[in-house]
Amino acid sequence: MANATKHYLHYPEEENVPIYLAYGFRPIFLLLAPYIILTAIMWAFVWAGVVNPFGNYLLEWHIYEYLFGVGLAGIMAFVFTGVPELFPGVVPLIGKKLKYVMLLWIAGRISFWMIDILPLFLVALINLSLLVVVIAWAFKPVVLDPLQRHSSLGYALATMLIVEGWFYGSMMGIFETPALEILKAALGIMMILLLLALRRVNMEVINEIMEDEGMDDKFFAKPFRYNLAIFSIALFVAVEFFYGTNSALGWIGLAAFAAILGILNDYNLEFESIIFKPYTIYLSSILVLMACGYGFMGADILYGQGTLQNHFRHFLSTGAFGLSFYMVMVIVSYVHTGRKLQSNYWMVLSVVLIFVATILRVSIAYFPEAASSLYVLSSIIWVLPFGVYYWQFYRYLLLPRADGVKG
Amino acid sequence: MKFILKVLKDFPWFLWSGWGAVASIFLFIALWDVGYQFYGDLVLPSPKETFSAVIGFFGDEDLMKDMVLTLTRAIIGFAAALVIGSALGLMAGFFATASIMSRPIVTILVGMPPIAWVVLAMIWFGMGDTSVIFTVVIASFPIVFVGAMQGTRTIEGELKEMVDSFGLSLWQKFTNLYFPHIFSYIFPAWVSGLGMSWKIVVMAELLSSSDGIGAALAVARSQLDTTVALALVVVMIGSLLFLEYIVLEPIKKEVEAWRD
Repeated sequence: MANATKHYLHYPEEENVPIYLAYGFRPIFLLLAPYIILTAIMWAFVWAGVVNPFGNYLLEWHIYEYLFGVGLAGIMAFVFTGVPELFPGVVPLIGKKLKYVMLLWIAGRISFWMIDILPLFLVALINLSLLVVVIAWAFKPVVLDPLQRHSSLGYALATMLIVEGWFYGSMMGIFETPALEILKAALGIMMILLLLALRRVNMEVINEIMEDEGMDDKFFAKPFRYNLAIFSIALFVAVEFFYGTNSALGWIGLAAFAAILGILNDYNLEFESIIFKPYTIYLSSILVLMACGYGFMGADILYGQGTLQNHFRHFLSTGAFGLSFYMVMVIVSYVHTGRKLQSNYWMVLSVVLIFVATILRVSIAYFPEAASSLYVLSSIIWVLPFGVYYWQFYRYLLLPRADGVKG
Repeated sequence: MKFILKVLKDFPWFLWSGWGAVASIFLFIALWDVGYQFYGDLVLPSPKETFSAVIGFFGDEDLMKDMVLTLTRAIIGFAAALVIGSALGLMAGFFATASIMSRPIVTILVGMPPIAWVVLAMIWFGMGDTSVIFTVVIASFPIVFVGAMQGTRTIEGELKEMVDSFGLSLWQKFTNLYFPHIFSYIFPAWVSGLGMSWKIVVMAELLSSSDGIGAALAVARSQLDTTVALALVVVMIGSLLFLEYIVLEPIKKEVEAWRD
């Protein structure tokens, strides 16, 4: 299949840059995949009661870490890799500077797991400063771009920073807003960020695959479809935050479900059929999982008791979030190491495993008596694809680009 | 046959393309829900209750009969308007004199408020089927007529000359020039006429009939049963949306594809 054809215009002059610091995604993915596995084991110990640095706020910190610990690493990888490509004048972040950013991320993770020893404001300071650094680096090209082509990414990141600050404020008792409500909003904003990222990933991946296969057609990720989905999700987030499980939220959930499914129409091209291409299936699965999340939550508010929201939300977190991270990691690891995109049985298995993990986690809603087994099973199955990823790709991340391009 | 196969082949994606519209409808329903929460059941019943009432209709034999009756009246009226309007419109399009003569009459027909037709129909035909169907025909006819006339009048002279110069047979001229062009005008007019029929039939029944959805609406109004009233409206809109977007739109899309 295809490899990246668009690159930065300027690569920094820094000398003796180790390969693992030669481009933004390399150190992040080298650390993120093992961290996902490690953190799952840590959480297993926490939930089992072996260790508990989080006191009575286990659930809050659990969600927080996946959104702002794991999630932010994924966002960093996308921003540091994607921005020099979307804005070719931007100089990529590499070498020492990248090392310092990664050290800040590592410090954030260590401070998080030592939250019972360290003062909370210090943990907040370290973790918030990481997002500030990311935004500061991307602000000028993304937000001040006269054409405002990708400014929505910048605004979404800024919103994430506000929400993270609000969460810490709530945990410190500065704000009265319940931390869980803030985290629900954060997950919604993360879904918006995923859609914004997915739009760009889709455009690049599908077009390059078609070009490589000699298909005479063009794929467009139509902005109006994404905008309708983003608007519906944003409305869901706002109404849920202010009015809880108001019945109007149920209809908005169904609207988000329909709007997200509507994005799949992009894959219907005029001349060529791409719907059964492996990457189309993988990428569209993210949308299907996200749509299911909002659809099930909406239906539960309208026709259930509104009590199964927590379980159905895992379509978004375990499902859409997990699969999009896995896909972005795979795509970037192929394309930005100068290799052609490929699909293999391991990838198919990984995507299936994330689906299975999601369904197992969601099914707790219907089989509460088997909750413990389902939790454990779902968690184990969910981390497996990231293990497979690491096993398949760590060499690529440690080797120079196959096409000889710097980075 | 090729045309039908193409429509059927594209149908799954066509259906899928409706998700955006479905999302907009759900957002509108959310707004309706907010209105219900502000004004209460009497003014604006909740969408959930309204949809439950719609489902309940399917178990109510009398209401089912009313629905079938209304749909039958609308379809008969629309079919009559379609046949008469298309035939006369085509004739008016082919003959300039007929076109000039018919224009002011069509303007009068379009300008006449449908409610006035209902009143006149009640005087002429009394309460019942004929009044309702007549009102539907007279209100939808001008729309179809104008579409057919425009379709015929706007065929480019150069294209006519071209098919003549190639010596095409009458059948070839019809299938390659006249039919695609006229149909691309007349079909949207049929769709608009259908929409008009659906609206008019309920209004005509409300005023001039003791059965049908319109009459059921009148009963719901007198009993201040807003839920049933809204549920009836939902049935009418739902059936119109189904006919227009699921049945007619794919055909329209295919028919108008040559314009691209």
